[in-house]
Amino acid sequence: MLALDRVSKTYPNGVQALARFSAEIRQGEIVAIIGGSGCGKSTLLRAIAGLDRASSGTVTLDNKTISSPHAKIGIIFQEPRLLPWLSVADNIGFGLADAPAAERRAKVVRALERVGLAEKAQAWPRELSGGQAQRVAIARALVPQPEVLLLDEPFSALDAFTRRDLQDHLLDLWADTRPTLILVTHDVDEAVVLADRVLVMRPRPGRLFDQIEINLGRPRDRNSPLFENFKRSVLTSLDRSLDRSVPDRDATQGPGQAMWW
Amino acid sequence: MISGAPVLQQASEPAENVAAPSRAARYARPLLGALLPLALALGWELVVWLGWSNGRLVPPPSRIFATIAELARSGELVRHIIATLWRVGLGFAFGVVAGTLLGAVSGYWSLARRLFDPTVQALRAIPSLAWVPLFILWLGIFETSKVALIAVGVFFPVYLGVMGAILSVDRKIVEVGRTFRLSGFAMIRRILLPAVLPAYVVSLRVGLGLGWMFVVAAELIGASEGLGYLLLDGQQLGKPAQILAAIVIFAILGKLTDWLIEVAAAPFLRWQDAFIRVKGA
Repeated sequence: MLALDRVSKTYPNGVQALARFSAEIRQGEIVAIIGGSGCGKSTLLRAIAGLDRASSGTVTLDNKTISSPHAKIGIIFQEPRLLPWLSVADNIGFGLADAPAAERRAKVVRALERVGLAEKAQAWPRELSGGQAQRVAIARALVPQPEVLLLDEPFSALDAFTRRDLQDHLLDLWADTRPTLILVTHDVDEAVVLADRVLVMRPRPGRLFDQIEINLGRPRDRNSPLFENFKRSVLTSLDRSLDRSVPDRDATQGPGQAMWW
Repeated sequence: MISGAPVLQQASEPAENVAAPSRAARYARPLLGALLPLALALGWELVVWLGWSNGRLVPPPSRIFATIAELARSGELVRHIIATLWRVGLGFAFGVVAGTLLGAVSGYWSLARRLFDPTVQALRAIPSLAWVPLFILWLGIFETSKVALIAVGVFFPVYLGVMGAILSVDRKIVEVGRTFRLSGFAMIRRILLPAVLPAYVVSLRVGLGLGWMFVVAAELIGASEGLGYLLLDGQQLGKPAQILAAIVIFAILGKLTDWLIEVAAAPFLRWQDAFIRVKGA
């Protein structure tokens, strides 16, 4: 279980990005974090990844405190961030440097097939399309079999068709080993398609505003009335999270926050 | 439907041409670059042969090559070339080692950069030839001062290149290394070195170019052998053919050594999205 206990982050310039964020996330759960810009979504994800340290509060995975990147926590960024000097296969195997060569090769081959890029194994990253590159990034993060996979707006740079395709693909890959997925997104559709639970955050400073359980079986039909219902309730919650008239205990909000994206 | 077919064929034809350029085209393209110098050389040869110019100050190519052949036959040419190559090689080696080490340290540790970089930049602002009198006083007129001068010339572009390359490594890529928990040394080997390599090769080539520049300066000052000595000797004895012969050999050696670096680095830089390769060759 991944536990976030009153995680706060204040940057050196005095901006408080995250204030006392607490949540417990079960092993194998898919959680989407959604919220307006500047609500600390990425800050939170980077704290879980161990890339940045929280100013106060703790992140614990199975009762172990996370303060630096951890073997059981993988991350996928908004950009693929492939290493341009490594072939696709070597990029996927990047996190397996300590494994025996034969085992590494076998895992890479399996991962390549799993993301449907077997024929691109020896290609250079520059030869891939945006969607293909992001699939390689997903494979690279999944190959070391993390218990928790963090995704920071992973599909936001892709076109709508590719995005849908990759969302389905991600679920398919998730089903293999069922890691915990924590997905930061600003796409309500994406949150409802993928997540078991949507956490809505409120900006300035970023904190948890609302939680919505998505009780929908998989695969989910994006056009069903139930799906629409969940989308509407997430959107309503998002709207409310930006509404100054909704009381919030420690609300000290400045002006100038109009739209949540 | 029917009209679609020929269009498709047309589209695929040029694609095939790009994929497999004819053998003639592949050899013809580099030759294109030789066209202008060859035409000029032949033109001048003709002008002298027709007697329109006596070619005393600007000897025709045939006389230059005759000079080269003569120097080669006496074994003198090899002696001069080896002397110059040795100086450039030694100076280049010292300059590269020093530039790489100091550049890497300054790029990696900001404290070292704050400590060293202002001094290095101030030294860089001194025209390198200004060192000559001092080097001769300190190191004598012979080999050491020459090698030192060349090393100084090579040092600065390599230092700047390495430091700049390290400073401009993409933070996002470094973060990938961090998420895979690379230790300091693994981070250098697996992320920083490959990221820095393209800029490093460029700085080596610039450094080598400066090395060739400074070897001439060093040999003009005082030498009894070397291609720079051939230049000076040609000037003092009024032998323009010998000066031009040395210049031609400088050009050949400079191009050749630069090409060596390029070829040696090519296997490591295959991944680069090179403009030339995109254009196809």
